[in-house]
Amino acid sequence: MADANIEFKGSSFTLSILHLKTSNLTNIGADLQAKVAQAPDFFHLLPVVVNVAQFADSVDYQALKTLVEAANFTFVGFTGTVSKAQRQRIRDLGFSFVNTAKQTSAEQVAAQQTNVSTNPEANAAAVANLGFSDKVHQGQIRSGQQVYAKAQNLVIIGSVSAGAEVIADGNIHVYGSLRGRAIAGARGHDKAQVYCQKLEAELVSINGHYWLSESMTELWGEAAYLQLTDSELTAAKLS
Amino acid sequence: MARIIVVTSGKGGVGKTTSSAAIGLGLALKGHKVVLIDFDIGLRNLDLIMGCERRVVYDFVNVINGEASLNQALIKDKRVSSLSILPASQTRDKDALTKESVGKVLDELSQSYDYIICDSPAGIEAGAMMALYFADEAIVTTNPEVSSVRDSDRILGMLASRSRRAEQGLEPIKEHLLLTRYSPKRVAEGEMLSVEDVEDILSIPLLGVIPESQAVLKASNAGEPVILDTESDAGQAYQDVIERLLGETVDFRFLVAEKKGIFSRMFGG
Ligand SMILES: Nc1ncnc2c1ncn2[C@@H]1O[C@H](COP(=O)(O)OP(=O)(O)OP(=O)(O)O)[C@@H](O)[C@H]1O
Ligand SMILES: [Mg+2]
Repeated sequence: MADANIEFKGSSFTLSILHLKTSNLTNIGADLQAKVAQAPDFFHLLPVVVNVAQFADSVDYQALKTLVEAANFTFVGFTGTVSKAQRQRIRDLGFSFVNTAKQTSAEQVAAQQTNVSTNPEANAAAVANLGFSDKVHQGQIRSGQQVYAKAQNLVIIGSVSAGAEVIADGNIHVYGSLRGRAIAGARGHDKAQVYCQKLEAELVSINGHYWLSESMTELWGEAAYLQLTDSELTAAKLS
Repeated sequence: MARIIVVTSGKGGVGKTTSSAAIGLGLALKGHKVVLIDFDIGLRNLDLIMGCERRVVYDFVNVINGEASLNQALIKDKRVSSLSILPASQTRDKDALTKESVGKVLDELSQSYDYIICDSPAGIEAGAMMALYFADEAIVTTNPEVSSVRDSDRILGMLASRSRRAEQGLEPIKEHLLLTRYSPKRVAEGEMLSVEDVEDILSIPLLGVIPESQAVLKASNAGEPVILDTESDAGQAYQDVIERLLGETVDFRFLVAEKKGIFSRMFGG
């Protein structure tokens, strides 16, 4: 039987999407190398999907793939809003075309929510589809320590000391005081949020937009959450 | 099996050696068998505070190197027979200590003592890591100021990640906060952090608050640990620490500035 040794299962993953602002390969290559030089370990073998929406007609697909791989990323495929014909062309060239899951998963969640209370398994699946799973850290994170939740949310049951750093690709929840640095949506996720019971942070960053403590005076010492609104960090009281 | 207690801080000069001496002697006065180990290789301070500097023949490094037996190196305290001191070497450098050799010495001491008190050097380098590695409990010595609290926080991170208990996945080191050189007057004036501030930041149980006191310097110069000065505020505060270490509940004292008498107030004294 074909499934005696293997089994196919669906799952959702977080992939980094490379957005192009030009079809000029030399410029793209230079920027890629510069980006990687900033944090070689972080990007090494990172799976990447290239969004070709704007340049679907003009770009050299094979050369683009080579560029991405030369910068030591793992090339997964192409994505973007493109016409059916273009999508077929990409596939004919031997590359995979990846659809974003946003629409389909939203529909699934809506459908599954009808039987949430009666079917815990379906419930769990719905939550998984909504996004990241949680990495839970018990206890205080002390000065000099760093915790990173890769492709996950980070939940800290305890405080984050001044001089400590917490990083997540998803959201950060601190059930305690946030006195150190919190970096949410670390690999490009502008819906990421930071929640804490007491805001006294040295720095909060969401998808690269950051606040130093001087920007937090209004909510200093309060239970608060921070998010991005139109590419601006905003903070509000919890409750 | 002995309780191995490290007295540590990160920041230097906060009162680790003063506290190690007072606590070691205090526990011995209660009838426990105690050995004090000076891990501050190269500086050698504990023997001065204990008043036994002129009786040092062999030291910790001699024992580690097999040049002397433990019995030859241990100095018996003249005041309390159940207390011994293992002095540090003044001439060797800190690299003399390895985990393996220190572990062997501690194992041997564990057979015959109730408490092993390790006086840590300052910093977060190899010497301080060695002093905390084998600990069952830690007395995190902190002054009520931001930099000292930050360093103590750092050390708490090390206790939770770099100790033997952490590496072997055993029950974590039991942490105690010892606030030293506390001056209620300066706290009231906003120049120093309060007990509540420090507790809030470090969130570990408070073992004691030792007031800033003239008695400490006097005691150090005399080679008589301040706990022997039963009239002094610092001596009494260390006494309370001993009770708490032994499981008693004791109210905290010396937390508020002494009210001045009517005369001193009138005459501005
Ligand atoms: N409660 C106190 N009141 C006044 N002075 C104190 C008090 N505690 C310690 N001191 C003084 O502070 C200084 C440093 O104390 P001590 O040597 O015990 O610190 P330490 O943490 O062991 O230092 P090091 O990091 O250098 O080993 C000494 O001069 C000591 O007399
Ligand atoms: Mg010392």
